[in-house]
Amino acid sequence: MTAAIARPARAPRRAPDELPFTFLTEELVTAISDRHNEPAWMREDRLAAFARFAAMPVEPNRLYTPYVDLRAASLDGALPYVTAQDLAAVPAPRAHGADDPTAGLLEINGEAVTIATISAEAAAAGVRLVTLGQLAMTDHAFFKTLIADDPVLPADDTFAWMGRAAWTQGVALVVPAGVHVDRPIVIRWVVGAPRTQIARTVIVLGEGATASVVEELVAGGGLVPGAQALLSLTTEVRLAADAKLGLSSLQETGPDQIIFQQRTARIGEGADLRWALAQLGARLVRSRVDNVLAGDRSTVEQTEIVFGSDDQLHDLTSYTRHVGRDTTGHLLSKGVLLDKARSYLKGMISIEKTAIGTDSYLGEFGMNLSKLARAVAIPSLEIDQPDCRRAAHSSSVGPIDESQLFYLESRGITPDDARKFIVLGFLEPVVARVPLEDARERLREGLEAKWAAGLVSGGVATAA
Amino acid sequence: MTSTRDLVKDERDQYAFHDDIVYLAQTKRGLTRDTVEEISAFKGEPDWMLQFRLRAYEHFLKRPMPTWGGALNTIDLDKIVYYRKPSEREEKSWDDVPEKIKATFEKLGIPEAERKFLAGVGAQYDSEVVYHSVREELTKIGVVFMGTDQAMKEHPEIFRKYFGTIVPPEDNKFAALNSAVWSGGSFVYVPKGVEVPLPLQAYFRINGENTGQFERTLIVVDEGAKVHYIEGCTAPIYATDSLHAAVVEVVALAGSKVRYTTIQNWSNDVYNLVTKRAHAHARSTVEWVDANTGSRLTMKSPASYLVGEGASAEVISVAVAGKGQHQDTGAKAVHLAPNTTSRIVSKSVSKDGGRATYRGQLKVAPGATGVTASVRCDALMLDDQSRSDTYPYIDIAEDDTTMTHEATVGKVSAEQVFYLMSRGLTENEATNLIVQGFLEVFTKELPMEYAIEFNRLVKLEMEGSLG
Repeated sequence: MTAAIARPARAPRRAPDELPFTFLTEELVTAISDRHNEPAWMREDRLAAFARFAAMPVEPNRLYTPYVDLRAASLDGALPYVTAQDLAAVPAPRAHGADDPTAGLLEINGEAVTIATISAEAAAAGVRLVTLGQLAMTDHAFFKTLIADDPVLPADDTFAWMGRAAWTQGVALVVPAGVHVDRPIVIRWVVGAPRTQIARTVIVLGEGATASVVEELVAGGGLVPGAQALLSLTTEVRLAADAKLGLSSLQETGPDQIIFQQRTARIGEGADLRWALAQLGARLVRSRVDNVLAGDRSTVEQTEIVFGSDDQLHDLTSYTRHVGRDTTGHLLSKGVLLDKARSYLKGMISIEKTAIGTDSYLGEFGMNLSKLARAVAIPSLEIDQPDCRRAAHSSSVGPIDESQLFYLESRGITPDDARKFIVLGFLEPVVARVPLEDARERLREGLEAKWAAGLVSGGVATAA
Repeated sequence: MTSTRDLVKDERDQYAFHDDIVYLAQTKRGLTRDTVEEISAFKGEPDWMLQFRLRAYEHFLKRPMPTWGGALNTIDLDKIVYYRKPSEREEKSWDDVPEKIKATFEKLGIPEAERKFLAGVGAQYDSEVVYHSVREELTKIGVVFMGTDQAMKEHPEIFRKYFGTIVPPEDNKFAALNSAVWSGGSFVYVPKGVEVPLPLQAYFRINGENTGQFERTLIVVDEGAKVHYIEGCTAPIYATDSLHAAVVEVVALAGSKVRYTTIQNWSNDVYNLVTKRAHAHARSTVEWVDANTGSRLTMKSPASYLVGEGASAEVISVAVAGKGQHQDTGAKAVHLAPNTTSRIVSKSVSKDGGRATYRGQLKVAPGATGVTASVRCDALMLDDQSRSDTYPYIDIAEDDTTMTHEATVGKVSAEQVFYLMSRGLTENEATNLIVQGFLEVFTKELPMEYAIEFNRLVKLEMEGSLG
């Protein structure tokens, strides 16, 4: 019998309805609306959303309530931006070189927009990459449709309602029907100053449009060691018939960052969405992805990796709802855990009565590399329509495969290198899907750096 | 076609019976502190048991009704008679069993089964064990198999040592209810090194409208011993809801082997809310073989707590959910010691608007190194009115755990049905055969007589849907 492992004392567990901050009140919501001089409909939308938010528990899904854990977050010092700055204020457009690997870049640092460029080609095709504030000024009716009249946010996502109530910054990417944006568009959030950023991203692709987006969440200046910052980011994706979107996200924020991420996609007939999500940074990430396969023959592929170390907690949930006929869902979540890291991978596939001919798969795989790491996998199925091509999930948690190690070592690779190759290979599916070479390389370097740090700290258990 | 259906109807009638029994003693409807005290007094229990019941009763009052799983809001706890005693004393031989009760068992086929192979029969008629026969050789080798009430009096040391330690009253609301009003059930003790050569089996029945059944089973298997316990249930059909809230505690001491087989076929008005749990000590093996075809709602996940190094657990769980039924079943494996293994296989069939839910938990606690665990869930849906859910919880806190989980959901393939029909089977027969094949992983674990009975139950269930 191994001796009990000493664990560091933790703060007492919070009740699920208790959030790590108190500043989110109706007064704050009203103040945000006032500062931005918003029309009545928007104020009402915010207040209605706030009422919904206030009435809900942190985790409305009873399946997952035992795993609500916000103990690492203590955000009362991270006051929200209630910026008086005009949301439409953006820097002067920077020249976008013809050889730029991107088709556009929007960078938001703290409460300010710091870079906004778009290629001449994309602009000419009618692609808009703007802040929500700009969109409100230039195309109010469209803005209203996007954020209030026809929202895709799930009704049972508490933090999505929070975002809708209290957002102060946002990004809109609109690709008109039939337009193919051939180079990636980058949306970069620079965070870390001990403040609360509540933001909203809306991505709309018209019929037959194609685009790829790289979302970067990075640590900027102004970090105060030990002082926590919150980023609550809601992303709403609408794909019209036959649209194609690739959306990569690289999260490499600082050690005191708390992240709530809500992503929803409504996928139209024949449309295709590919997520490639990488979680490396932050102290605590609570993420939820909702894919609604509304149109017939729509497809979603979601590939997600977590590389956790120290005392990071990544709490990731995905919901995939099959509504249309002959839809396809392929979801893969992988986690590598060092030190005392924890990852909760929760996934739910729902096949509704209308979803005849569904093909749905969910895989959750974990690699625990330290004694104190903890992996939780809850892959669930709720099925009302048996006439499907496939409805399955699988999961596994295990150490590094000894036979793979043996094979590599037999080829003259040192044990440490062999382990590194196996771990990085395990996480490669997301790396390979990042469309921008720069970002891909940075992700690879980030993963290698984490591995190296794990070796130094002893967070990786040495091979027996 | 018609003839097949008539035949099936006859078989169905065979199970739908209800005898008028004169109850000698029963409590008033509803549950109060007085009811609990009254039950204890009826039974002439020692004070510690009364205190145990009262502690459980207090917790029951405090504990909210579970809101997850199935719909429990139609249970009216005030309408239930918590205790009734159909005959005054424990019968020692078949001849002494009252004729009325005997007639009921006749329909269940007990005497026949007994003649064939049974080691012992503990037949539960309502809230008391009325009949027990233990084969002489079992008594000789020291095996104790008797009603739980009797065991409390005749084997107080071992009884008190383990009773309520595996499932404490505070475990959940229905374990608390059971602990407060429990009555009947089986007690098994197998001494060190003894292998019980034949399965021990108990038949359970609920009789009497609105009778709750709260039996309590305790099985203690000493070091190196081996036993197979079987329970099968049938119940008469009534219009109003009945509640069955049992607690089963199994203690598998070092190096022992226990198999617990259940065929649950309550009538479709019964709420079956059962807590089953085993502690598996070092190098012991615990196997739960669990089938649920009856009841309106079953919420049950047999649990194995692997507390000793090298222990292993296996669960085979099958569920058939027909019209108006919800089977919320599954398994739990909690690894608390190093080098423990567990394997869970679950198969469910849902049809005619029935709902089959797999709900399972696999937990590897810190310190439980070298764990190997696997979970496999397959679901078959026979029509698009039905529903199938899978909720596995997997929580791993050790780096050298090897865990795999797989789940699939599908329907009966048209090709298979077509093939069988081309060989002369009707569509019903073909579907029935495919379902039986799907559940075979379970059936093959049963003694032959049970396998036949189980296949007949499945056939009955299927006939109800496809006829």
